[in-house]
Amino acid sequence: MYGTKSKIDLAFEYQSQIPVLRPSIHSRRANLTVKFQDLYGFTVEGNVDDVNVLNDVREKVRQQGRVWWALEASKGANWYLHTTIGQGSALTSSLKFSALANAITLKKLIKKGIPPVLRPKVWFSLSGAAKKKSTVPDSYYDDLTKAVEGKVTPATRQIDHDLPRTFPGHPWLDTPEGHAALRRVLVAYSFRDSDVGYCQGLNYVAALLLLVMKTEEDAFWMLAVLLENVLVSDCYTNNLSGCHVEQRVFKDLLAKKCPRIATHLEALEFDVSLVTTEWFLCLFSKSLPSETTLRVWDVIFFEGAKVIFNVALAIFKMKEDQLLLTHHVGEVINVLQMTTHHLFDPDDLLTVAFDQIGSMTTNTISKQRKKQEPEVMKELDQRIRKLNSLKADNK
Amino acid sequence: MSRPGNKIIQAKLVLLGDMGTGKTSLALRFVKGQFFQNQEPTIGAAFFTQILSLSEATVKFDIWDTAGQERYHSLAPMYYRGAAAAIVVYDISSIDTFVRAKKWVQELQRHGSQKLVMALVANKCDLESKREVQTEDGEQFAQENGMFYMETSAKTAENINELFYEIGRRLAKVLPPRQTGINFKNETQEHGRKFFCCST
Repeated sequence: MYGTKSKIDLAFEYQSQIPVLRPSIHSRRANLTVKFQDLYGFTVEGNVDDVNVLNDVREKVRQQGRVWWALEASKGANWYLHTTIGQGSALTSSLKFSALANAITLKKLIKKGIPPVLRPKVWFSLSGAAKKKSTVPDSYYDDLTKAVEGKVTPATRQIDHDLPRTFPGHPWLDTPEGHAALRRVLVAYSFRDSDVGYCQGLNYVAALLLLVMKTEEDAFWMLAVLLENVLVSDCYTNNLSGCHVEQRVFKDLLAKKCPRIATHLEALEFDVSLVTTEWFLCLFSKSLPSETTLRVWDVIFFEGAKVIFNVALAIFKMKEDQLLLTHHVGEVINVLQMTTHHLFDPDDLLTVAFDQIGSMTTNTISKQRKKQEPEVMKELDQRIRKLNSLKADNK
Repeated sequence: MSRPGNKIIQAKLVLLGDMGTGKTSLALRFVKGQFFQNQEPTIGAAFFTQILSLSEATVKFDIWDTAGQERYHSLAPMYYRGAAAAIVVYDISSIDTFVRAKKWVQELQRHGSQKLVMALVANKCDLESKREVQTEDGEQFAQENGMFYMETSAKTAENINELFYEIGRRLAKVLPPRQTGINFKNETQEHGRKFFCCST
């Protein structure tokens, strides 16, 4: 297993080897669709403008890195790892003040993006994964993977089915090493929480976590903290009830924050969860370009699952004019898909998500969820009863 | 694309079936003529459109391709609600997927539209050496349930166009022209429906 980890590190070196893309005159002239690799090795298709945007993003990432290093120099190494609001009541008031100032700085900083090289460390600490890991023996992950090796369950069969289908063609994920690492993470988790077991969608989430965290063990703990602490519970269990709740909360929020869009889509009989379900379950990894997805995750791991609502609302908000002109379900889906697939500049999305949508506290969202829960459970329950009566009729 | 004087039908079609049976591959083969050995699993659902020109009518398909894993079942009514046609897919090399297909058929009979055109599709027929579900079993089940049966391979494209042409022909018989697929069902059933609500 340790051998595999070093292979992951080796496989990651490709990241630094990707040259900055310069679109050729020919493609510029013909305005052709070109294929290129993004920061995390995914092949994406886009036009020359997209390539230019992606080059700008690379430069911005570098600049943001310099900001983080400068802060590290002035505030001390790893200052951000000790920064959480409300911590250290025993501290003197001046220290409390500096902690609060740091927390505010950090919040702003994270919205501008964590440099990819610092992501593993910052995510691991700020998400609570480090704390979660510290409550069990150091050998937990290795012991778990060893204990479940060779076991076959419905979850492991489904995982095996999906391994080659998870981001096929990715230069590391779609290799025997990539498949093996993803398998160990997903299988280990399926045994850690048998209620979740394996839910399709987690394959994409875990794959991206592996790419960022670089070691299986850290990816595993990120997955654990995500499912157990960050996201609403039961998003991925048996009948996805948590996800159903989130969809209802989202519909209410859309009606509140983007009333014109909500009214228009309702007139088209377009249920927004037709598209948003995938956003919530894959945390945008299947819809947004990789760096944009990870910028969203930067904020999710620091501020919580409410961020998903901000981002989802922003995608609708950004295309309000176009959406209001649609006449048909297919057009709505096209607008949304074209938008998400071409959001190569994360700031375009995050600026709308945090500056134009208006703030929503975790508290407000929690209240909304509480309100929706009974109705969702009732309907899911009714459905199960209907299906069961169907079975009884056929006996 | 439509022939002059020809009636135009807008029809919602839903693809249902167990995970990995090839629902997305069927849709992609029909819509784009493409096939990928490692097609990414669908989460929630995917949407495609395609237009078929028949001598009877021009059929505009709105295709909803759904996620196959069992726990996604709770989302299904949202996709098959108002559908004019349904393709229930299984994989000939897996008996479990045939069992699941039967359950889908029962659910559609109970909750789908009255005039729903249903096809039972035995996909992956290129995997003859691994076959677990016999043709007669599929045919018999389809017949008993008023569906038509077809063996297809999204990989080799066998019977893919035939499948959609047959659905188109059947739709042309049962559907009035210029209907929007979403409104296909009896209007009274549509009122007051909610997120998971099936027509009762």
